[in-house]
Amino acid sequence: MPASIQKTIDQRISELGHATFTERDASANIIPNHVKSLQHVRQIQQSRNLATIRRSVAMSEIKLRPNRVKEKIYAGEVAVSVVGFTHPDDIDNFGPIANANGIDAVWLEGEHAGVDHANLGNLTRACDLWGLTPVVRINENSQGLIYRTLDCGAQAIAVPHVNTAAEAQNVVLGGKFPPIGRRGNYASRQGHGVPNYMELADDHSLLIVFIEDIIAYQNLDEILEVEHIDIFFVAPGDFAASMGHKGIWDQVANIPEVAETMEDTFRRIQAAGRIAGATCGKAGLQRYLDLGAKFFLTTTQEWLDDGAANFMSIVKSHTG
Amino acid sequence: MNLRPNRAKEKLNAGEVAIVVGGFNSPDDIDAFGPTANANDIAGVWLEGEHAGVDASTLGNLTRACDLWGLTPVCRINENSQGLIYRTLDCGAQGIVVPHVNNAAEARNVVDGGKFPPIGKRGAYTSRQGHGVLNYMQVADDYSLLVILIEDIIAYQNLDEILEVDNIDVFFVAPSDFAASMGHTGDNGHPEVVETMNDAFRRIEAAGRNSGATCAESEIPRYLDLGAKFLLTSIGPWLSQGAASFMSNVNAHSK
Repeated sequence: MPASIQKTIDQRISELGHATFTERDASANIIPNHVKSLQHVRQIQQSRNLATIRRSVAMSEIKLRPNRVKEKIYAGEVAVSVVGFTHPDDIDNFGPIANANGIDAVWLEGEHAGVDHANLGNLTRACDLWGLTPVVRINENSQGLIYRTLDCGAQAIAVPHVNTAAEAQNVVLGGKFPPIGRRGNYASRQGHGVPNYMELADDHSLLIVFIEDIIAYQNLDEILEVEHIDIFFVAPGDFAASMGHKGIWDQVANIPEVAETMEDTFRRIQAAGRIAGATCGKAGLQRYLDLGAKFFLTTTQEWLDDGAANFMSIVKSHTG
Repeated sequence: MNLRPNRAKEKLNAGEVAIVVGGFNSPDDIDAFGPTANANDIAGVWLEGEHAGVDASTLGNLTRACDLWGLTPVCRINENSQGLIYRTLDCGAQGIVVPHVNNAAEARNVVDGGKFPPIGKRGAYTSRQGHGVLNYMQVADDYSLLVILIEDIIAYQNLDEILEVDNIDVFFVAPSDFAASMGHTGDNGHPEVVETMNDAFRRIEAAGRNSGATCAESEIPRYLDLGAKFLLTSIGPWLSQGAASFMSNVNAHSK
């Protein structure tokens, strides 16, 4: 091995000290110094890779798919995602309904439900067909999990239980390529045929952190200073539980102590010039809009409940 | 919202040659192949359900990967069954390939399964391709592609009546079963087989219909000269060539 390469490696190890996240990394303002020194090398590598792709595919004009949610929230508009689909054919079936109603995204649930790397390709492809942003909630604040989920086709990542700035910075490290973060170099499924994927990916990916613990509330100011987080999602169920109130998410959100703390959270997110997210059915919508939330998660459950109830009431009214 | 174009059918209708590629079993692999297919003007992907594992439970994901890149999903099924034909269309196929069609009645059965009334008897249902398409039932018949396999000496004997059946887009002449039906199992290059197949291609063209062929790289001139407009090829040889080339480089540099 040439001495110059060994020197670069030694420098990387001495500056980084380790291969995984610690609070020391996070406090280094996300960009470790070694990344700056390697940035030039990276750029050369990337341009070589891209030249190869361009040559082999004789690219026409394949562009990275737009991220509808990201475009909307940065235009100051409200973006809505819908949860409740676990099969690609069901997303596909929902596509025209979503388009006709201006729905922006499908929320794929991998913190609690079965979304994983084996099924993400098919689930996100069904979203792609209809221009819906696939938002995937994962179940651990792990850099590898974050970027593999992006690689498999997610356009947005939601990370639960982010309680400190260091934890928020870890999301950025997993979700963005160097020099911003440390996302592993790989063409995502979303990057097939896109010659400049590596250059554009960071602008297109959307990062969401969950503020859902009284500790996160305590650390909110420092969390709100972390760059590259697009949405600070205030979730009531765990928030209330962390304050000693266990119960159904939309009911505990109305307990005065919980409601007040959450409302203060929303106000501070907005005051910091950042974007807040909220989960609600039709009953809670106005409240969260008034609190400045720009990103919403709602569920098909309420629609099915309403539809079934309505249908059965007609059946009953005609059968005595 | 409009029905997705059927690229293979559009090319055939314009008198152009349509190439479909077989060898994919995973939606992610089709997706990854998309830009290569687009850059090379490949028209469709052949999904193998006569012999391999493509079925109603996998068709949604496989055909969706084709949709993303404007590739016509062409699915070969394993029985000349009306229900199987239209369920396969309902699950997302834009083209159906039916093997072992040996007479006009069997060819009409394909049309009965593949087209809505009044042309055929396809069951009324919004295909996966029809999500959000308001006039799906009116336009579906114009978009679906029906391919039958002429692959038996009996089909050759009945070729004139088969060629009179309307609404079949491609008469695909397949060598292996053809040879087997002539007593030359495994010997597709037997002169008797080659001459019979060649005559089938000529008669299809003379009747003003489109012929199809399964075609290795070396056979392209033969089949295009015979007038074939729909060519199936496989990624198998591409992988073999790539592997052989790569390994020869490895071997050359490691000695």
